[in-house]
Amino acid sequence: MSSKFAILFVAAATALCAQETPPNNSVKINLPQDSPLTLISTDLGDSHVSQRGSAVVLDLDVALTLHNSSPNRVRGVTLLVAAQEVTPGGKASVSVPSLDVAPNQNFPVRINLRLLRPAQMGGGPLVQVNLDGVLFQDYSFYGPNRLDSRRTMTAWEMEAQRDRKYFKSVLAARGMEGLKQVMLESLNRQAERPRLDVQVSRGRAVTSAAVGDHSARFAFLRFPGEPVEPVEGWAEIAGNEARNPRIDVRNVSSKQVRSVEIDWIVTDRQGKQYVAGSVPASGPEFNLKAGATSRVLQDTALRLSRLPNDGGAPLSIAGMTGFVGQVEFADGKVWIPNRESLANAQLLGILEASPEEQRLMDLYRKKGPKALADELGKF
Amino acid sequence: MTHPNQSILALYAGRDLGWFTRRRTERHLSRCRECRDELQAFAAARDNLVALGDLPAISWNRLAIEMKANIRLGLAAGECVGAARPANRFAPFAMLSNARALAACASVMALVTAGLVLQRPTPIAPPAMARQGSVLRATANGIELNQDGQTLSLLQPRSHDVAYSAGAQGSMQAGYVDSDTGNVTINNLYVQ
Repeated sequence: MSSKFAILFVAAATALCAQETPPNNSVKINLPQDSPLTLISTDLGDSHVSQRGSAVVLDLDVALTLHNSSPNRVRGVTLLVAAQEVTPGGKASVSVPSLDVAPNQNFPVRINLRLLRPAQMGGGPLVQVNLDGVLFQDYSFYGPNRLDSRRTMTAWEMEAQRDRKYFKSVLAARGMEGLKQVMLESLNRQAERPRLDVQVSRGRAVTSAAVGDHSARFAFLRFPGEPVEPVEGWAEIAGNEARNPRIDVRNVSSKQVRSVEIDWIVTDRQGKQYVAGSVPASGPEFNLKAGATSRVLQDTALRLSRLPNDGGAPLSIAGMTGFVGQVEFADGKVWIPNRESLANAQLLGILEASPEEQRLMDLYRKKGPKALADELGKF
Repeated sequence: MTHPNQSILALYAGRDLGWFTRRRTERHLSRCRECRDELQAFAAARDNLVALGDLPAISWNRLAIEMKANIRLGLAAGECVGAARPANRFAPFAMLSNARALAACASVMALVTAGLVLQRPTPIAPPAMARQGSVLRATANGIELNQDGQTLSLLQPRSHDVAYSAGAQGSMQAGYVDSDTGNVTINNLYVQ
């Protein structure tokens, strides 16, 4: 028995010796000179490099400490993470929404990233981290916005305000017991929310099989007061794969619309509904004037399967439903559905909770209703 | 009295005997009626054979060529049959020998492969999807972009409850609460 332990010990020691600490220049943090955030420290923590055959695996566990050097409270940050040498056609971002960072306060941002690349690659920083945007309490924004982070962070902040308002109203109307009850309902909904394993392939079909390929039509949910209405839409369906969604939308508001995001729900043969994803349209080519109609079109394939713990079988798509999940106007303002509309459409049990609701649920689960009530009282 | 045998009588009828045997046979024939009768029978048969010489002419050369050809054909066929028999008789042993050689080769290959694996582990095989271009997916540890066998992943090691969502513009999102900081973190991967 002791010899087995000795062998295991030697193997573990060998494995540890095979891991190396990445060089300090493997990650470069770039903040503009006029950035409202200042980099206080970079800690590579448990980061390590290991060899796997002819490939190198770089595990980066980066803990950044940033300082709010602006006069405004920071509500969200998005960092653009680029590893162009490894994935030239890909990029990554790490966003931290639902913040409440006062001026001159520090706050942490963690980046956990793994790169698998050939061993024989050039030197220099493997990963470059750039600031893509900072959202402040007054919805003002700073940053190059290459990832459209202004829209996404504004929408997250509006969802945060919407959900905080809901929980505060419950607390005010029904007290701590009412807050506990709705929080438990939220936790149950999220635990029982049907989930799918989704793979995204851009530009071409994931599978070559064209058997059973057909065009399926979207059914649409309408919300009161939505500034953009879906008119009609299709996607190509082949088995568990949905491709090339195209949705015609009409701007029924009096303002120019800069971007629209349609949320996409699929129904299986048993009538169970799942969130497949979202179909956004933005950019200079999408400019929807008041009263105009335009097409939301994406050249993408989504392959939908049940989760591995649910058998992992491909999902047979029987139907598709869409609804307008976000609208960004030309002036930067964003519209999102209100909570009542989502509840009436029975979407709360299908959609994932907003980032702020996730945070509040986590706070309730770890620290209890009193801590949650205190948090809701902050702003 | 000793009679000459039939062969000597036949040869005598054809005048094919030597001088001494012919004289001795003549002395016997002069005293033995039985042998004279038998000699007459041989002589009559010989006359019949001469009459057969009036049969149509036979091409003996052609007949000889045909016979030689038939003999060669027979020899060749015999060689073929002779060559096949040993192969059939030893075929199971030959197959066994091939199987042993294959098993030996496979063992050597397995040994070499095991050595390579133990000495230098093979890299994670890129999924079949990767060969078809860029693919985004959610994994047990995070979200992953696979592009031509190279991988970029964003992980959430300190969280269990992760909300994944896909964007049809080519993105994958994972939202979770960082258990260390208590902040919501949303990782996004994009493919162009």
